[in-house]
Amino acid sequence: MRWFESPNFDFIKAQQKAYFFSGTMIIVSIVGIIVMGLNYGIDFRGGQEFVFEFEEPVDVVEIRTELAGPLGTVPEIKLFGSTREILFRVDSEEDVTATRELILENFAQLYPGNTVTVQKTDLVGPRFAEDLRRGAMYSIIFALAVVFIYIFIRFKGWWFSAGAIAALAHDVLIVLGIFTIMAEIAPFDVSINQALIAAFLTIVGYSLNDTVVVFDRIRENSIIYKTMNFKDMINKSLNDTLSRTVVTSVTTLFVVSVLFIFGGEVLKGFAFALVIGVILGTYSSLFVASALVVELQKRATVKAKTK
Amino acid sequence: MKKQNNGFKIGCIVLFLGLTIYYLFPTIQWNLEQRHMNSMTETERVQYESENMAKLQNLRERSLSLGLDLQGGMYVTLEVGSPQLILELAGDFADEYLEEVIQTARQTSIDNNTDFIDEFVAEFERRDSDAMLSRYYRSDSENITRTSTNSEIASYLRNQQTAAVERAMEIIRSRVDRFGVTEPSILQQGGNRIVVELPGVDDEERVRDLLRGTARLEFRLTPETEEINSTKQQVSEFFSNYEQDEEDESSIKNLLEIFELRGSNEYVFGYAAERDTADVNRILEHEDVQNLIPRNTTLLWGATPFASDNGVDLFELIAVRSQIELTGDVISEARVAFDPTTNAAEVSMTMDSEGARRWARITGANIGRPVAIVLDGHVYSYPTVRSQINNGRSSISGLGGVRAAEDLVNILMSGALPAPLEIIEERTVGASLGEASIRAGLYSIMFGLGVVAIFMIVYYRTGGGIADLALMFNIIFILGILAGFQATLTLPGIAGIVLTIGMAVDANVLIFDRIREELRGGKTLRAAIDNGYANAMSAIIDANVTTFFVAVILYSFGMGPIKGFAVTLMAGIVASLFSAIVITRVIVDYLTREKASAVSFG
Repeated sequence: MRWFESPNFDFIKAQQKAYFFSGTMIIVSIVGIIVMGLNYGIDFRGGQEFVFEFEEPVDVVEIRTELAGPLGTVPEIKLFGSTREILFRVDSEEDVTATRELILENFAQLYPGNTVTVQKTDLVGPRFAEDLRRGAMYSIIFALAVVFIYIFIRFKGWWFSAGAIAALAHDVLIVLGIFTIMAEIAPFDVSINQALIAAFLTIVGYSLNDTVVVFDRIRENSIIYKTMNFKDMINKSLNDTLSRTVVTSVTTLFVVSVLFIFGGEVLKGFAFALVIGVILGTYSSLFVASALVVELQKRATVKAKTK
Repeated sequence: MKKQNNGFKIGCIVLFLGLTIYYLFPTIQWNLEQRHMNSMTETERVQYESENMAKLQNLRERSLSLGLDLQGGMYVTLEVGSPQLILELAGDFADEYLEEVIQTARQTSIDNNTDFIDEFVAEFERRDSDAMLSRYYRSDSENITRTSTNSEIASYLRNQQTAAVERAMEIIRSRVDRFGVTEPSILQQGGNRIVVELPGVDDEERVRDLLRGTARLEFRLTPETEEINSTKQQVSEFFSNYEQDEEDESSIKNLLEIFELRGSNEYVFGYAAERDTADVNRILEHEDVQNLIPRNTTLLWGATPFASDNGVDLFELIAVRSQIELTGDVISEARVAFDPTTNAAEVSMTMDSEGARRWARITGANIGRPVAIVLDGHVYSYPTVRSQINNGRSSISGLGGVRAAEDLVNILMSGALPAPLEIIEERTVGASLGEASIRAGLYSIMFGLGVVAIFMIVYYRTGGGIADLALMFNIIFILGILAGFQATLTLPGIAGIVLTIGMAVDANVLIFDRIREELRGGKTLRAAIDNGYANAMSAIIDANVTTFFVAVILYSFGMGPIKGFAVTLMAGIVASLFSAIVITRVIVDYLTREKASAVSFG
């Protein structure tokens, strides 16, 4: 079987459409994040989180309204896999055991005879959450910086670095935007936590993988076709590597979808981020990174000439 | 030349496979043993376990361990309270001024995320640039004199902090060992944090008390009864005409509304319902009320309720002297005992010779009067001294049961923590959720592998089959690397393996596509293969090096299970590079030499 045997798409020409699409997505993401605020999970916000498993299905809305009184604050409740399991998050100054006992007492009153077991208890102090948040931010910034430097050294042109970083930032920002906008409607936990940061860095790694393979081909072609103009050469390189890009995207998309479907409730949000990330990563290495490299390189040479 | 080269490659493959099997062998054995043991009856198993203790222990330690998110258990991050430690190091020199400086520095260090000791010294010097810290920290044994500079003292404080964290870790280790957890892990994280992992533990409350318990044991005398009575009198008079100023937020409630100024005996200052104790404390801390209470009297709550009123527990506030006569440092041995008359569990303690001497002096001088036994700020009992005690014996009664007594013995015997520990993170995973996660992880690996394998064969034919074979090796290698480095397999770690399955074929995809291209260019199969491998190499290296960097960064910033993900990602990159480049090459070369017609890249 062969896909894209000798393709000849004009990727750089599609640039206009790609800029429009990416621009819209980025604006929607940024507006979403500003309006709705980042939906931090327990890792980055602190608080207490439990997973309860009931014997019989329960009603999330009912629990939320019934427990707001006793807890003194409205808890965040989501179904966790089945209608018998719930994820329960609450900001409480109380001791975590005391909170849990209070919740369990109220469950017993609300659903007599429906036995509850505690599957998971998480407590993160506010100051520790701040540390985790800082660590996450540093790791993303640090990762992007290292990528910038490595590509700069290997491909000898800051426009390669800038194109790659812009594509990565594009991917992460849009995933973040989608997660923020989905906060209320997603049927699984899409809060921003440590696992999601791991997903971001994986997306960074994956998307970079794609981008680097294209850049590598550009480097190779620029030696073979010395006279070809930069834009055409990039287009040729994208076409040369297209089959590989698509095949790898397909296999990776297979496994992250498997993870999303079979990986269990704990990994749902993480796997979902990867699914979006792989799609976006493939798109951005084909349409965003290289187009930007052409643009930046053009400007850089124009500047050099006018000097 | 070519042949020799492959000989070296085959040697490498055999070596790595050998190493992998060597490292994974205990894991396989351990799983077989567990299966074997699960098929036995309870009594058989206990006997089998005791007979093969050393062997089983050894196997368990060397096998690939599962993270807490997979096997269930408790994960706690503790922070050593530096401000309290710095205050305590000042000992008797500590005063209100120092407390103020510490409070301010604590706040600044939280706000700006800076080092507390730096902020402390800076704040101290900011208030008075000529002031010397040696005023508070001079000590002959530490060689700190009046003339020691502030920076010398800062480094002394820093050393003390390091020592305190180390000591706290030792104490926690000893407590956890006595508690009896299999394979606990206690690690330092950063400057003043300790991460404790306790697999299979779900009794959070007990563990929390055990980890945090400072077990500050104090023996204190009580004031004269006349003195207590006259204080009660004054407090009663103060509040009888008192009315709370509702406008003023700092204004306190009337104590008499929630507090009875009488009790079961003359040493009791009064009592209150459990829910009101915090309010009572707040009222008593108020300046106006503090002025009514003699300086050398401290009011402490009893540890257990003395009575209950319609199901509401009532606690007594007991008057004791502020001065501490003797502390828990002198305890050399503690054990659980039972009260001969009530049969209630208590802790019986023996003091060292110095403690026994002082204890004899204290009891001798106070015959007929009570001595309060105070643990972590609560009065457990205040028995009346009947005669001088010369053998250094004493006991703590009023405990919540045998288990509470056992835990207290554990804490007393492990030694007192140098500074209070705060739990800043706590995660507990139930065993059944862990099992569900393992199942989900295994399904994902199997499905992921199946789908990718089929796709590769369909798309690349023989090449795909070879890549699939390499993929199998790849997964075995990853597990081997994890076992070899004694890493822990977590749920995100499994996700990392699944992800690696998808991405590991990338190197082969790059190579095979290159081979197809070369074939299209009219090259012979052999030449196309040689060129394909050679030309794909730089792209493979660049792509994997950058991803590896990202994994390293994730490892250094991530915590807990996320570290597990980063580790499998790194292991996955190394393993997939090896299997995709070396293993497939050997197989491809062998096949093209033996039966070239059978090799197809689709």
